[in-house]
Amino acid sequence: MFCIVSFVVLGILGIFSASNRQLAKESLDCVLRRVTLRPCNTGFDEKMKAKILGFVIVRSEGGARLLNRIFEPLSWIFFVLLMASSIWSVRGLYLFYTSGSCNGLNSTAFCVFDPKGQNNQTSGLLQTCKVTPTTQADLTLKGVDLSGFPVLNPTAPDKIVFIGCYHCDYTRATYPLVRQLVERYQVSFTFQNYPIVHEPTDYMTRLSLCAYQQDQTKYWKMNDTFFSTAKANLDDAAWMQTTLTGLGFNTSQLNSCVAAPATETTAKQQMLEMVKTKFFGTPTVFVNGVATVGPKPYRVYAILLRGLFYWLR
Amino acid sequence: MLQEGAGRKKITYFDNACQTLRPKQVLDAINQYYLKSSACSGRSMHQLAAEVTRECDQARVLVAKFLNAAKKEEVVFTRNTTEGINLVANSIGLQKDDVVLISDKEHNSNLIPWQMMARKHGILVKIVPSRPDNTFDLDAFEKLLDPKVRLVSFGWSSNLDGVTIPVAEIIKKAHQNGSLVLLDAAQSAPHHKANVKALDVDFMAFSGHKMLGPSGMGVLYAKYQLLEKMDPFLVGGDTVASSTYETCEFLPPPEKFEAGLQDYAGIMGLGAAAKYLMDVGFDAIEKQELLLNEAITAEIKDIPRLKLLGPADPRLRGGVVAFTLEGVDSHRIALMLDQMAAIMVRSGQHCVHSWFNAHQIKGSVRASLYFYNTMEEASLFTSSLKKIGKVL
Repeated sequence: MFCIVSFVVLGILGIFSASNRQLAKESLDCVLRRVTLRPCNTGFDEKMKAKILGFVIVRSEGGARLLNRIFEPLSWIFFVLLMASSIWSVRGLYLFYTSGSCNGLNSTAFCVFDPKGQNNQTSGLLQTCKVTPTTQADLTLKGVDLSGFPVLNPTAPDKIVFIGCYHCDYTRATYPLVRQLVERYQVSFTFQNYPIVHEPTDYMTRLSLCAYQQDQTKYWKMNDTFFSTAKANLDDAAWMQTTLTGLGFNTSQLNSCVAAPATETTAKQQMLEMVKTKFFGTPTVFVNGVATVGPKPYRVYAILLRGLFYWLR
Repeated sequence: MLQEGAGRKKITYFDNACQTLRPKQVLDAINQYYLKSSACSGRSMHQLAAEVTRECDQARVLVAKFLNAAKKEEVVFTRNTTEGINLVANSIGLQKDDVVLISDKEHNSNLIPWQMMARKHGILVKIVPSRPDNTFDLDAFEKLLDPKVRLVSFGWSSNLDGVTIPVAEIIKKAHQNGSLVLLDAAQSAPHHKANVKALDVDFMAFSGHKMLGPSGMGVLYAKYQLLEKMDPFLVGGDTVASSTYETCEFLPPPEKFEAGLQDYAGIMGLGAAAKYLMDVGFDAIEKQELLLNEAITAEIKDIPRLKLLGPADPRLRGGVVAFTLEGVDSHRIALMLDQMAAIMVRSGQHCVHSWFNAHQIKGSVRASLYFYNTMEEASLFTSSLKKIGKVL
């Protein structure tokens, strides 16, 4: 078993050192013999054991004696640990590929491939929003009435529901990816702005509602524009009016709609519907009912939509 | 090399039976060729060629003096002991049913050439068994001597256990039988005075790299009248005085045995090594080796499970301390010594596979000493070995 453990360790060390590369080759030879049920008679085990014992004996004779006695069982322990950690590593790699985190979808535990946890960053809801902290298991679309929310390709069988905030950087990073996916696979796409970052987004929610009511086609162009422009522009009233005019909206009608108490009521109702999903930060994207929190890589959404080999389809 | 430095801690070099280290004088002689007179010997007429010819000739004189040969032409330069033995095997005209006697613990260099001759020419190779303590059995040797024995070929000192055979008696008895004698002196030339004239030995082969000289350089000593009768083994450039499309006229010995361009630097280095050893003196060399061997033997003989190869008396083992540790692979011990204290010894079967296989021993550890080794090194070796004995 020692040669198998050595092969992995020396293989990694061999990347940096020629002498370890040679030892890795020898251990590979030994491994190949073992896996083909031949005796490992290359002397590799002996050589490594001697080197290790030689290193230990000058520091502690007792330690070397003990090591010599338990060398084989110790090799087995290391082998089992190696296998377990290998399986764990492969699992982590698989989960990272499919969910953007080594520990599973939306897990914020440390992941070596995403050490800063960028795939899970969100603009979180404040306690004042009266949303209790929730977990992945709580996130759901069940019981949420999505009628009246902006939706594209409403009849498509695959459905994406996107809860985001125009001012949230993580939403802004995620939105283009999801839009790309929607375009490619023509899935049903529901978007709801949830004003999470600061005050003006309340206005944006009402504007979004009114724009969708006025013209659905122009609404999606507006949405795309809001997510592609510099964030500062969203707070610039003049830029906003010019842009809306440019997109062909009747701005005076829009402004009236935004200011109307009925609009505020509807917006609040929609936000309350969103809260029912138990989401705890933006962006939260439901892909066919499965919630993803934070800006995931494109592949994560694609895999949820089309499976592991989405790129083959 | 023996000093600490260049990313390496101070070494204890106990692998002298494999190859010795070289003194500065030898390195200087080698360098001198490449730096000052790098040209062909004996072919060209210019001054550089003349200088090389003179230096090589001087080296041959030094080696002849080292051996106490009757004349320098009895010294044939070879690549190593193996080539010297092969030269004899292929050049003395062995016929079918001729018998060659060797001992039961010959280095492959003095075994395989005879096996090949048996296969190709039908000679018979007979083995003289050693005594239980691995010393030479003269009685067994005498019993095998008969008129069909054309040649006896023995290792003078064994690389297996350091045992030196009684060459004077062997040569005397062989000559009485009408047999030629070839000595594999690879392990004896560096340690014992070789007086070929006094011994009346017919052939003697040895290597430069075991006697402070350069690697890839060796010597075959042979009586001149034998060399004259022998056919050359390797032929070509430098072996002939003239040639036609049909035939050639060989040069006299030793040139007819030295085919192709020679290792002039190696020859000069070997000459310097021979001179160095003569200056040090074999009495001093043997004395220091014995001192070290006695000290080591006394310290390690009581290590549990340790078994010395060869006789217990260090005086019979020259500079060699070979041993096994029951139940422990010899390579493991060698590697541990290296890892622990940079002590360099040889492990395995030392090119004497036949003996190990016959005795069903997997391998041994061999510490081979030379005059430049010290008592401190011997002490480090024994203390390290004792630790290993306790741990393994």
